[in-house]
Formats: sequence, structure tokens, C-alpha cells
Amino acid sequence: MARNELILNGVTKRFGGLTAVDDLTLKVEEGQIYGVIGPNGAGKTTVFNCITGIYKSEEGSINWRGKEIRGMTPYQIVRRGIVRTFQTIRLFSEMSVAENIMSGRHIKSRQRWWHGIVHTPASRRDERENWKRVEQQLDFFNLSEFAATPTNSLPYGIQRRVEMARAMAVEPTLLILDEPAAGLNDKETLELLQTIFRIREQGVTVLLIEHDMDMVMEATDYLTVLNFGKKIAEGTPDEIQEHPDVIEAYLGSEHDDDE
Amino acid sequence: MQQIQRYGYILFIAVMAILPNLLNSRWQAVAITFLIFTIVALSQDIVLGKCGMFNMGQALFFGMGAYATAILNSTYGWPILATIPVAILVPALFGVLLAGPIVHLRGDYLLVTTIGFNIVFVQVVQNNLGGITGGPNGIFGLDSLSLFGTTFLSQLSVYYFAFAILLATLWIMHNLDASRAGRALHYLREDQLAAESIGINSRFYKIFAFALSAGIAGMAGTVYATQYSAVSPEGFNFIQSVLFFSIVIVGGSSVPGILIGVFVMFVLPEIFREFATWRFFIFGFAMILAMVLRPRGIWPARFGRIPKFLIKESNHGT
Ligand SMILES: Nc1ncnc2c1ncn2[C@@H]1O[C@H](COP(=O)(O)OP(=O)(O)OP(=O)(O)O)[C@@H](O)[C@H]1O
Ligand SMILES: [Mg+2]
Repeated sequence: MARNELILNGVTKRFGGLTAVDDLTLKVEEGQIYGVIGPNGAGKTTVFNCITGIYKSEEGSINWRGKEIRGMTPYQIVRRGIVRTFQTIRLFSEMSVAENIMSGRHIKSRQRWWHGIVHTPASRRDERENWKRVEQQLDFFNLSEFAATPTNSLPYGIQRRVEMARAMAVEPTLLILDEPAAGLNDKETLELLQTIFRIREQGVTVLLIEHDMDMVMEATDYLTVLNFGKKIAEGTPDEIQEHPDVIEAYLGSEHDDDE
Repeated sequence: MQQIQRYGYILFIAVMAILPNLLNSRWQAVAITFLIFTIVALSQDIVLGKCGMFNMGQALFFGMGAYATAILNSTYGWPILATIPVAILVPALFGVLLAGPIVHLRGDYLLVTTIGFNIVFVQVVQNNLGGITGGPNGIFGLDSLSLFGTTFLSQLSVYYFAFAILLATLWIMHNLDASRAGRALHYLREDQLAAESIGINSRFYKIFAFALSAGIAGMAGTVYATQYSAVSPEGFNFIQSVLFFSIVIVGGSSVPGILIGVFVMFVLPEIFREFATWRFFIFGFAMILAMVLRPRGIWPARFGRIPKFLIKESNHGT
């Protein structure tokens, strides 16, 4: 069995004349917390969209556990253990927190389409077991009190937690977080950091985009820095902090924490 | 709330079980129509309300079921009840075939395409394609219901037949809501990209919604053919589809909402027959008013059907 590694090789994604991701190569190893940073519009989200199948990159290869996943649809990629959250939160906003998390159980559930018409003892058992898993996620993310609350009536910080709980309900091997700290206050950011560490303890590899420099330096083992779609540096947080090109990119561009 | 809903259902079923015995034959016929159109509207709700796909051709599947029953009974002599499986499977199969190429379309394009399908269907049966649909006059003189050699001639038996099909439909809808497939439809309606990013195959479940919805509508078609002992093209016109569509939107995607919608659209006009020319004028306005005042329908769908053990003390919900 191949290792749980994600390897991007020469990935290029263009939008018309704009090259949003330019010949990007990177390697995320099993058990890492891997960071992708860069100024606004650097192409970070686009990289994630290419990995998760929302966009198809024009060039390059995306290899996951020894298999090429470039060109697969999002749901096929999820079945291989890669799950993501969105920079702009995308919850099923009129549905309750518990139902949102239950969506993450979709691919783990053994029910077939005809169980939507007629239940069987096995399908009822499966239904119960999956709701139990939802309960575990509610506990893990400290969301139990909101189980029945529609997500559109919750504050931003809690919505972010629900989105992560939903992703974790899939039991992913690789969890991809697009700016999980955006819009959070200091206390919430600290809690998020703890949560990410606890997720890693469960054996999940984490790939994240982050603007908050302090958090990136605290959380990640390894970093790639993007600017104008190109990789300008990679290394451990300590190495990156010293890197002249990175300092240049961050000081040279007007960098906004709230995006 | 859930408690009230449960008692509401029991009350509704009890009333509907007794009701026809209190009605004269004209009102029995109205009650049967109410049951049939409720079934079709519920089937429409699966595609439109639950999955959020703008299907404006539901009368097509309704008609397909009715014609399947009529043809098998009049041409091949099948008993009415024996035609039910075919009246479910043929529309369901067409649901898959027709939905396949169109489910990826955006709402407005999907809507126009389904209207097109409906119009083509009516043209086909009107022109007596294959010589089995009876042309513009349709097919008439179907047999009455019969079971184990006993024939049921009374209108009352047609009523209970319709009622049984409605109960079956409600049971399926209930099962759907507490299943993986049913939730997938909700997720797709709320946010397709998020649903796919959590592992849901949107194409598969959209086609599933169409097929299930078509099968249920087809079943209603059998009852319709039985009530009138006949079928004809105008009963399955695209205008009918517009009405089913409106019922789900105006009523809201919920069983009580749909019951209210069907009642307002099909039963009230019967009560106010004297105002024949005015009634559609009034209902048009009633529809507009309902949408302005309650944009999510008179009785909007409620989410949050989750197991009790998840609801903890100091809950912020409800
Ligand atoms: N669907 C799209 N169509 C056209 N251009 C796009 C599309 N998505 C992204 N872009 C462009 O690609 C570039 C990279 O965008 P991307 O969202 O990946 O940046 P980012 O690094 O995530 O920025 P931010 O920090 O603001 O989230 C930007 O110039 C953006 O305008
Ligand atoms: Mg971004």
C-alpha cells in the first residue's frame, strides 16, 4: 500500500489570460500539518480547487497515494479520503447543525438508493450508527448544544466549526482547510489551533491555507509560499521567516488580514 | 411541534377514511380528485421541493401511468390492479431516460426542457402514435376495479383505492426523509458544490429523484384512469404541470402545505362553482398574494428532523 502522500508536479491552472497557478510542485507527507501562504490573489484557493476536483488543471499531475487524481470529480476524490472546507463557508444553511454533520456520513453509510423508499432492519441500524457518529463529532467540536439549530442563525466562529465537523465526519485521510481562522477572534483562533492538533493526533494529515502569520508559524510543520501563482519559497516556519523573498512579498504587497 | 404534526396526521387520516360515507356522489368525485392530485403534487415535491429542480412537466409522468393502465386494460384485457407495476415502472424508466441528459442544466433551462417534454408527450398521444393511444379522444370504457374475481362498481371503492395509494405515497415520503438518499436531495438543493465536496454524486441522486417522482405520479395515473374509466390527452396538458408546480411553491415543500395547495386549487373551485368565470381570476390573485406574503410557501418545509438523543439540555434550537 502506497503511503498517504500528496504530490503535485508542475500544476498549472489558467483563467483566460491569467495564470492563477504556475508550474507548482509540492509534496505533503503523511502526518504533516502543511501550510500554504501567500498574499491575496496568489492562487492558494485555486490550488485547493485543483486538488479537490472543482477545477481541472491544464497541466501537471496530482498524485495521491500513488494514484493520479487530476481530472476526477469532487465526489470521487472525497471517496479517496480527501475532504475540504471552504474559504467562504458553505453550509447547508437552512438545515440543522446535526444534519450538516450527517452529510459527512454520506459516503460511509451503507444504505443504497432503494432504502430511500423502503427501510430494512439493516438500513435502520446503519441510520442509527451514523447518527451516533454525528454525536461523536458534535462532542469533539463542542457543538452538542447547537445540534438542532439551523446553521444560518449561528455566529461565524461556530459555523466554521460546523464545517470542520462535517468534513471530519467523512473520516478523511487528508483534511484541507481554506483559511479556517478567517473571521475568528483571538480566543477562537487559539481553540482552532488546539482542534487542528487534536485532528492530527487522530492520524489525519492537514493541509491548510492561512493568512494569520502567527497562527501559521505556530501550527505548521512545513510551508509553501505562493506569489502570483508561483512558489517563491518552501521550508519549515523558521526557514520561511528568514527568507528574503517572503519578506519582500509580504511587505511589498498590501496584505489584509480580514480577507 | 413534531407532536402536533403527528396528531395532525392521525386526524387527517381518520377524517379521510370516514369522509366519503358522508358525501353524495358528486362530492365523492371531488374527493377522489383531491386524493389523486395530492399524490401527484407530493411526487412533484420530491423533484422540486426536496431536490430544488425546476421540473414543469410532471403531468407527463402522470399521463404516462394513466395511459399505461388504459392501454393494458382496454387493448390487452389486464385487470386494473395488475397494471399498477407497469404504470409505475414505465414512467420511472422514462424519468431516468429523460432526466439523464438534462439534470446538469441550470434551473431555468431545465424548466423549459421539461415543458418541451410535456408538450411532445401530449402531441404523441394526440396523434395516436403506434395506433394504441386512441388519438384526440383518448381511450374510454375501461373496466372497473376487480380483485379475486369480485368486481367493485361503486365510486366508494375507487375512493378507497385512491386513499390507499395516497397512504403508500405518504409512507414512502416518510421513509425518504429518514434515509441517506432523501438527505442527499436536501443537500443538493441547499448547495450543490458543498454536497459534491462531501462525496455526493449529484447526477445519480438527481436522476433518482426524477425516477421516484415519476413512478409515484404514474401510480396516481392508474387511479385517474380508474375514476373516469377513460384517459384523454388534455388531462395531461402542460397547464396541469404548471398547477402541480404552483401547488408545491405556494403550499411550501411540506405535506400540510401541499394538502392546502391542492385544496385551494382543486376543491375550492368546486365549492364556488357559481362564480365559474371569476374563480381562476381570484385564484390567480390568491397565488400572487400568498407568494408576496409568504415567499417560502404557506406552510414551509421544516428541517431539523434529527434523533431525540442528539437534542441536549439548554438547546438553542426550536
Ligand atoms: N473561477 C475563476 N475565474 C477567473 N479567475 C479566477 C477564478 N478563481 C480565481 N481566479 C483568479 O485567480 C487568482 C488566484 O485566486 P485565488 O482565489 O486562488 O487566490 P487566493 O490566493 O486564494 O487569494 P485570497 O487570499 O484572497 O483567498 C486571482 O487573480 C483570482 O481573481
Ligand atoms: Mg483564497
